[in-house]
Amino acid sequence: MEKQIIIALGREFGSGGHEAGEILAKKYDIPFLDHVLLQKIAEEKNIDLEILERYDEKPKNKLFSRTVAGYSSALEEHVANIQFDYIHKLADEGKSFVIVGRCAEYVLQGNPALLSVFVLGNKETKCARIMRKYNLTEDEAYRMMKRKDATRKNYHNYYCDGKWGDSRNYDLCINSSNFGVEGVVGIIDDLIKRRMESVGDQ
Amino acid sequence: MIAQIMAVTIFVVMFALIVSEKIERQWASLGCGALMIVVVFGICMRSGTAIWETLNFREFATVQFWYAGGMSESVSTGVNWATILFIAGMMIMVEGMGKSGFFRWLCLRIAKAVKYKAVPILISFMIISFVLAMFIDSITVILFLAAVTVELAELLKFSPIPVILAEVFCANLGGSATMCGDPPNIIIGTSLGYSFGDFITNTGLIALISLMVVVCYFYLCFRKKLVQNTCEADATSYPEPGSAIKSKREFGTSCIIFGLAVLLLVTHAMTGLTVATIGTGIALITLLTSGKDAGTLIRKIDYKTLLFFIGLFIVVGGLEKTGILELIASVIEEISGDDPRLMVAIILWISALASAFVDNIPFAATMIPVIKSLAAATGLDLSILAWTLAMGTDIGGSATPIGASANVVGISIASQNGHMIGWGKYCKYLAPATILVITISMIGIYIRYF
Repeated sequence: MEKQIIIALGREFGSGGHEAGEILAKKYDIPFLDHVLLQKIAEEKNIDLEILERYDEKPKNKLFSRTVAGYSSALEEHVANIQFDYIHKLADEGKSFVIVGRCAEYVLQGNPALLSVFVLGNKETKCARIMRKYNLTEDEAYRMMKRKDATRKNYHNYYCDGKWGDSRNYDLCINSSNFGVEGVVGIIDDLIKRRMESVGDQ
Repeated sequence: MIAQIMAVTIFVVMFALIVSEKIERQWASLGCGALMIVVVFGICMRSGTAIWETLNFREFATVQFWYAGGMSESVSTGVNWATILFIAGMMIMVEGMGKSGFFRWLCLRIAKAVKYKAVPILISFMIISFVLAMFIDSITVILFLAAVTVELAELLKFSPIPVILAEVFCANLGGSATMCGDPPNIIIGTSLGYSFGDFITNTGLIALISLMVVVCYFYLCFRKKLVQNTCEADATSYPEPGSAIKSKREFGTSCIIFGLAVLLLVTHAMTGLTVATIGTGIALITLLTSGKDAGTLIRKIDYKTLLFFIGLFIVVGGLEKTGILELIASVIEEISGDDPRLMVAIILWISALASAFVDNIPFAATMIPVIKSLAAATGLDLSILAWTLAMGTDIGGSATPIGASANVVGISIASQNGHMIGWGKYCKYLAPATILVITISMIGIYIRYF
């Protein structure tokens, strides 16, 4: 891909945002960064992948951590910052990629190549997707969805000025229950093309 | 009764705010201090005298605040201005030393002296961490030691985690050895009128014995881990100690000022100079010799910590004036009966346990009036309880990642460089070491004072 494009996808659990990201990455033949990002960091920096995964996209536990003179004992915070630095590095190197979560829309704020999208969904559709994917009952799926979304929200809102899922922080917010995953991909794809054209015109 | 309830409520709110980190701790303590003045002293007690005594401004006007002249230093209640001035003075001195490259030079010099070998680095860095923390705040000590440790570990291909953990523990241990090593000791010393010499001959001796034991303990724990992957790096890639010195003049001045500070502290019982005078004097000398950098040094003072101390002293003053701390003392007295050994054990282990999870500074400040009441009620020598409290609060903080400032800074520096230290890894080695040293302290106190 000649022009740099970075697609930062925020998503509610079960909305299909992750799947949409994967399809887009394949379509444009660019890296798709979800937990793969952790593998890359673990390899490059020689850090235990298991530790990175354990503290990935989690808000810091205030009761079991402390900050002194700007130094924090919370590993969640260190794992997040290592990822933010890595995302910055990739963007600064001019690389194109699709990234899900990890506050990417905030971390890369102001980058001209950034297209930020938040994928949401109706409770019923999301639950149905979770039940299919993880083979759960409706009740279990609902509880899992609530728990995961709460974690993502807390994580996001701890590091970012803007709130998780607030339309003012994204270029686009799409309800996947109304358009389906393919529809979401199509809309983002259209947006990417428009972005490319506008960059080309400039 | 209503004053006591309000005082306890304000104290609990302050602690909750500090732990939650919702607002910065200095605003939590100052806000609660202001509440204590208005609600408890003003509305409930209607006592202008209590406010005046707690703010303690008159202390500045007394000769004893600056010069003890053969007597022990003034016993302080309310805001302990001697602690504030001393800590501010040391902050300025340490900032000047850091700027001159003193700490990095010292670390690299030691690494070079032990020929850049991992196990000797572990042992020598533990000892230097202990010695530096006797005179300098543990945050600064770990800040420089941990950074150099990570650098050397990358070069020599060993894991810096064991060395950083051992350094953190020894910094806390070194802090317990002297009056100026750890904030609880400064507060205990200035509040109860003990000198540097009193600390070094009591807590210092216990700390020294403990150091010998923990050096063996950490050596046994970590020697295999350090030897496993270590490799000899190209000698030309070793960092030269001289490269740390940015200006020879500044470096020389820093060394002289540090030496002077140590000398003044060691001899302050003889010279009669109080820690407030020493702190102020060292700060003035540092500022005068730093020329145009004086402004930068003043700006770099950690005002937040100083403000936190002021608010904290007011809140604890509220607990003291309303008689809450006497109540706590009477509970401890009742539990321990007439057995002073049991009283020492209770204070030591409770202090250690509390300091492992909450900031040891407010805990020590709260406990000082408690041990004063206990000593008065039971006739037990106050100094024994003071050393017990100092060891409990200083060492207990080592047990968990959040117990002391040095732990947080050490973990943070290691983690920033990809060497994650979680609760499990930390407590596996440092919790047993803490229990070991607290046990040594208890046995030491029993043998020496009973």
